[in-house]
Amino acid sequence: MFGKTDVSAPLFVVAALVCFLIGGLMTTVVPPLVDASWSRPFKNDDPSKGPTGVLRPYTEIELKGRAIYVREGCWYCHTQQTRTILADTVRSGWRGVNAPISTPDEFVYDSPHLFGTKRTGPDLSHVGGKYDVQWHRTHFRNPRDLVPGSVMPPFPWIANNEPEFQALVAYIQTLGRAKDWRPDHDYEQ
Amino acid sequence: MTGKENPSPMTVPAAAPPVHSDTAAKWFILSSIAYFFIVGIIAVTIAAKFVWPELLGTIPAFSYGRLRPLHVNGMLFGWLLAADMGLVYYIVPRLCGVRLWSEKLGVATAVLWNVIILGAVVSLLAGWNQGWEYAELPMPLDVLVVVAWIMFGANIFATIASRKYAQMYVTLWYIMGTILWTAFVYLTGNFAVLFTTGVNQANLNWMYVHNAVGLIFTPVGLALAYYFIPKAGEVPLHSHKLSMIGFWSLAFVYVWTGAHHMIHGPISQWLQTIAIVFSVMLLIPVWTVVYNFIATMKGQWPQMRDNVPLKFLMSGVVFYLLTCFQGPMHSLRSVNAIVSKTDWIPGHAHMAVLGAFSFFAIAGVYYVIPRMFRRGLSSEPMATWSYWLMMVGGLGFFVTLWLGGFWQGWQWNNPSIPFIDTVVALKPVWTVRFFSGVLIFLGIVLFAYNIMATAVGASEKRTGAAAAV
Repeated sequence: MFGKTDVSAPLFVVAALVCFLIGGLMTTVVPPLVDASWSRPFKNDDPSKGPTGVLRPYTEIELKGRAIYVREGCWYCHTQQTRTILADTVRSGWRGVNAPISTPDEFVYDSPHLFGTKRTGPDLSHVGGKYDVQWHRTHFRNPRDLVPGSVMPPFPWIANNEPEFQALVAYIQTLGRAKDWRPDHDYEQ
Repeated sequence: MTGKENPSPMTVPAAAPPVHSDTAAKWFILSSIAYFFIVGIIAVTIAAKFVWPELLGTIPAFSYGRLRPLHVNGMLFGWLLAADMGLVYYIVPRLCGVRLWSEKLGVATAVLWNVIILGAVVSLLAGWNQGWEYAELPMPLDVLVVVAWIMFGANIFATIASRKYAQMYVTLWYIMGTILWTAFVYLTGNFAVLFTTGVNQANLNWMYVHNAVGLIFTPVGLALAYYFIPKAGEVPLHSHKLSMIGFWSLAFVYVWTGAHHMIHGPISQWLQTIAIVFSVMLLIPVWTVVYNFIATMKGQWPQMRDNVPLKFLMSGVVFYLLTCFQGPMHSLRSVNAIVSKTDWIPGHAHMAVLGAFSFFAIAGVYYVIPRMFRRGLSSEPMATWSYWLMMVGGLGFFVTLWLGGFWQGWQWNNPSIPFIDTVVALKPVWTVRFFSGVLIFLGIVLFAYNIMATAVGASEKRTGAAAAV
């Protein structure tokens, strides 16, 4: 079949598309059909099966904050996934408690997805509730005031714009909170 | 040796009758080089921001998060893909023995492409970013890209359909493959993602991101290498059969590997394993293609001394071999646990897009410009300098990021080291990367100046001749 493709353009086109579409369909259309967890929001009431909790949809202000996170390209430097690597669960943890690994059912309301590819700054998949509003305000104004050595850019136009700042912080506080994994619930404030 | 000196590939046999007008090719190539220069400034700026985080820090449009997508999209679509398309407009009519089906349609495509790139600059600086890597451009621009791609594809396929020679050289297969696959890959990454969320969307996004490199820049880059290595070296291709194995294994294997961007991440383990298996299988198309190029050069290596297109081409082949060895290795779970998400990855990505595919395109431009403008290159020594600047700068860039990224990955895997310490540790690496970037940029400046001087000189000569008549 392939022997004739270099003299017949139509035959070539068919062969090239068939080769491509086999893998293309197998890796894009089939997986979500096989794995229901990709589209079922997280919900667990049974502590013996791991952390309990429920994934709720974003509120209006959280979605607004999420749009700011996208607009400013935060996702170029911060991933949102605690991988199946021990060090990831420790680094995403809090006060000696390791974070649970990220699972597909925690992200079904995310569009665009913000898993990220590069960690110039720390992973944010479980950052929700760790730092209060005042910390974030100072940090966005100039990250180096709180974290000497940081290379994060300053974001004064967000820190000084109260509605945008409140929205962005509201979004950040949601991260990783579908699963109730922390010992003291200080993130409520 | 017969004692016959090969003429430099950048001088032109005088007074050959003009068969091809190459208007579309000229438009695409010259505008792509302008973007190479402009986006090069942005590239150096964002490298500088790693060293001086406050730089331009209070101006929203010039913050890192907005300049980075402009750097990536500008280099991928403004420079590299546009240069590739221009070279395709040059190559296809010559391999088919006919004129381009429609120069007018080609020029219209070039104009539309420039509208898209300028639209991209405005929207990305304004923060109109869709939030998907490589697919940041807002929807109206995505639609225009599809229109431009159909115009490009129709022109090229119509030219191939009217060809004089029945047998299609391997370059034509890669070009046709690029046009077909890009259509599906682009639609997946920019339109299908709209109907999905979460991990499902990420899977489509990585399918697009991975295949933007694997099924757009790889096949069109190899199309150029298959054309320009034999042309610039004046030597026949080693093996038709090997090129066939390389092509069809690439066509089948590449598309399966998208999920290797999520190894250890929140995506099904079985899909990760499939992606790993096919990633390793990529060694087959890569090694057959590279062997074919190296064997073609047998006995021809002394030409590397003063043949600038060959310098770029064969260095590109070596970078292609290396980058495609790294790729499969990164996908292995044990290696991935160290290098993934670190600065190693930009080192790898720049070797692919700059070291391999941009080197192929630069070689092609150096080869075709004197032929299209019917005039010797403005300065051959400057062309050699552009090679060495990009080569030394590129190596500095790749190697420091690999070393730094590997070290960073080891540090991350020891959670007793606070994260900020792993940031501070990388600062010397980012400083070296910045200065390497400056060297690469100087190479781009010399390349762009040389090509523009040749083009402008050619038009001055024409005007002069017209005035004399």
